[in-house]
Amino acid sequence: MRLATIGKSVTRIDAPSKVTGQARYAEDWWEHGTLYARILRSPHPHARIVSIDISKALQLPGVRAVITGNDMPDRRMGILVLDQYPLARDIVRYVGEPVAAVAADSPDTAEDALALIEVIYETEQAVFDIESAMSANCRVIIHPDLGKHSKLSVTGIRPPAAGKGNVFLEWHIRNGNLDQGFKDAELIVENRYTVHRINHACIETHMASACIDPDGVLTIRSTRQGPGIGKPHACRFFDLPASRVRMMEPYIGGSFGGKADLWIELIAARLAQITKRPVRLTLTRKEVFETVSRSNFVIYVKDGVKKDGTLIARDIRFIVGSGAYSQMSSAIVRNAGFAAVGTYRTPNFHWASYGVYTNLPPSTAFRGFGAPEVQWAIEQQMDVIAEKLRLQPVEVRQRNLLHKGDVNVQGQMTTGIGAEECLSRVEEWLGSQPIEKKTGPWCRGRGIAVGNKYTVAATTSCVNVKVHPENRLEVCHGLDEIGQGINTVAAQVVAEEFGVAFEDVDVRWGDTMTMPYDWASMASRSTWQLGHAARLACKDAKRRLFEMAGQKLGAHPDDLETSGWKVFVNKCPYRSIPIRELFSPVGIVPGVGEIFGQGEYTEPKIMEDPETGQSPKAATTYMYGACGVEIAVNEETGEIRIERLVTAYDMGQPINPRMCEQQIEGGVTQAIGGLLYEELLTEEGVVKNSNFLDYKISGTMETPNLAKMCSILAPDPDERGPFGAKALGEGVLTPIAPAIGTAFYNATGLRVTDQPLTRERVWRLLKERKK
Amino acid sequence: MKQQVWLKVNGADYEVFIEPSRLLSEVLREDLGFTGSKVGCEEGECGACTVLLDGAPVRSCLILAVQAKGKAITTIEGLASEEALHPLQQAFIDHFAVQCGFCTPGMILTAKALLDVNPNPTEEEIRQALAGNLCRCTGYIKIIEAVLAVKNKGKATDGDRQG
Repeated sequence: MRLATIGKSVTRIDAPSKVTGQARYAEDWWEHGTLYARILRSPHPHARIVSIDISKALQLPGVRAVITGNDMPDRRMGILVLDQYPLARDIVRYVGEPVAAVAADSPDTAEDALALIEVIYETEQAVFDIESAMSANCRVIIHPDLGKHSKLSVTGIRPPAAGKGNVFLEWHIRNGNLDQGFKDAELIVENRYTVHRINHACIETHMASACIDPDGVLTIRSTRQGPGIGKPHACRFFDLPASRVRMMEPYIGGSFGGKADLWIELIAARLAQITKRPVRLTLTRKEVFETVSRSNFVIYVKDGVKKDGTLIARDIRFIVGSGAYSQMSSAIVRNAGFAAVGTYRTPNFHWASYGVYTNLPPSTAFRGFGAPEVQWAIEQQMDVIAEKLRLQPVEVRQRNLLHKGDVNVQGQMTTGIGAEECLSRVEEWLGSQPIEKKTGPWCRGRGIAVGNKYTVAATTSCVNVKVHPENRLEVCHGLDEIGQGINTVAAQVVAEEFGVAFEDVDVRWGDTMTMPYDWASMASRSTWQLGHAARLACKDAKRRLFEMAGQKLGAHPDDLETSGWKVFVNKCPYRSIPIRELFSPVGIVPGVGEIFGQGEYTEPKIMEDPETGQSPKAATTYMYGACGVEIAVNEETGEIRIERLVTAYDMGQPINPRMCEQQIEGGVTQAIGGLLYEELLTEEGVVKNSNFLDYKISGTMETPNLAKMCSILAPDPDERGPFGAKALGEGVLTPIAPAIGTAFYNATGLRVTDQPLTRERVWRLLKERKK
Repeated sequence: MKQQVWLKVNGADYEVFIEPSRLLSEVLREDLGFTGSKVGCEEGECGACTVLLDGAPVRSCLILAVQAKGKAITTIEGLASEEALHPLQQAFIDHFAVQCGFCTPGMILTAKALLDVNPNPTEEEIRQALAGNLCRCTGYIKIIEAVLAVKNKGKATDGDRQG
């Protein structure tokens, strides 16, 4: 199929408004009479609330409301397990947990009022270590009434067997005979890996504003990722019908998953209900660092292989440190399993994942959703296997890669796997010239890794398309524009379908009152879902168009096509009519009204077996990638320098190649930062480095020189995807950390299984090695 | 106690009635509607609030509005002319240097300040100048390419909008 717009690097539709400052984000609106809200937070990681006295705070001039948990509906939030009150009731479970909230005339007054709220706590023991928390002997049970919490209906996820401490969910994938597999193995490699907590560090913090509009509709404007998550929760929480709740999301200043559990919306909404004024609640940077993070993980992998490197048994235990509440981490428990089955054949396999509470801040989704963390472990395993068997790392991977048509160990057909091509492109760019192993304090090494990322299934996207008489198309969708460029994708798809210029399309989004339903820009599903739904909407709009045009042209609607703003008869293009001539002077088509199309797309899924995790169709599709890296490690300072880095990705048909590069370059930088510079440091549940000075993200001085990085697009289109497209944004991260980890081993002889590799940690490791 | 303050923003004069403790970032955004400048940390670390004060990049989250009296303030809204975008703005579009866009206004203004004093910076000098502007989306590669493209076109100081 020859494509006119798809596959072209058209200018991003949002770039002009962003470079001029016209683009608006949630905090760029003020209503008349806006109040400013601030949250009082628990100083204890685990405590009973004995009493809260808000009387002095209420007396402060300018304070309009002070609320506690008892002023909110007695309902809990959550993604798979509903375990969290937006304002604590009776018990606090992490340092920073919201205990009270103030709405006042100015931010300073609200801040002053917090200091006047008197809370008496009775502290309880806390547990911070994941494995201690999941032990049956753990004396600290963070949610003793867990059994009473309701779960959203996601079949296949079961509460854990009794006696597992603070485990709230577990998930299994089983295939073959693991014991036999290990018996038949000629080598067994067993390791424990860990991944630490990091912060999303979006440049925009978290914010929600709420008001009750003149018609009584609860209106929330926020930085939320996922209107299809936030709105149903708000409806349920306040017992309001969907038509009486409006969520608005203008441009969002980055999310990476961090704004998916945005329960501050409910606090702002409650204050708006009570004060009958608009309320703004903006989290400070400190609050975001202290209360939002990626989960931490402990991963055990035991592999059994044959001497030729064939994997015959793999046993994985994947433990998710969810913090005090389950939030999005609950879904990671299941979804991380997709990463473990997506790349390699493993005839005898067991995956066991556990979601575990600790008294740390509740963690949430972070770009990759468990996939980068799983592959930090299994990709390094492949390298250990290669080394012990004296095989090449690439060879071991190639021997075990799934091929198109293979059924993976979860029971799903591999519909395409560009991993091999990505691996060979990366190998080729890196070259085989030997690198200078040591110069002065610098020792060098090369590493390579493969990665996959699934696209989630069973979610719904709706798109509307309207044809305007002035030769313009309008596409309306319900996703969030978090910077990934979904608006541009929407415009490209619709322009392609109608055979018009990309510039002829306007995109609308960000308002549940006027836009169609969608779930979220999440889980690598936006392009696939929106792409399909938009094409269906175009088909629907064309049907109406062709009905009217057919009457004018004396042709059957099935014989018509449209391109370049004309409708014409197939094979007789001279029999045509300009679309604008179908419209009356007031802009409607007589007999039809508006030329309008609706599209709905739900990716089918067959639910996994609750015992074995098996399903012939659990995930929508998989994207793949590979990374090759050369690093230099300074043995005196512990600094790791990226000397050369190449990545290749199979994202299916790229919709916009330069936008793909954007995702790659940003994702690679984020993955490098997460491994080498970033670490949330906690002490007794308190985050100690809650600012950009003490929590370092990559800046211009940390990213490799332009000449040393290369990103290769190596698409393997999935014919089931819209124009063959799959996904990219999350999967970018998956091969980066393990490639650096294995390069580190090759440089220093030290195998690191624990993240991060900050300078201080590396320095200590090297010092210990000297001893 | 509020006081009357005149601020010169993008060449035009504005009168505001504000507490002396109000930050320049707040007054620009909330009182005057120049929401192009963003607030990312309120501690001067992320650079999202960067505006130009007499041509020099400053953190508007660390400056009191009253401190900006008598100085020429340039925000992102003041860069384009009636006819065209500033070359940096156009370059950011053309080189795909924009994703979520939250760091973009601060990034462009800092780059403008660099090119105004050093029209011919090396890649290293561009990195150093932009080291105080954090971005979480782009990895900086296309931002640096955009600035290099403007330098190479020789249009470094086109249209000084300070007034």
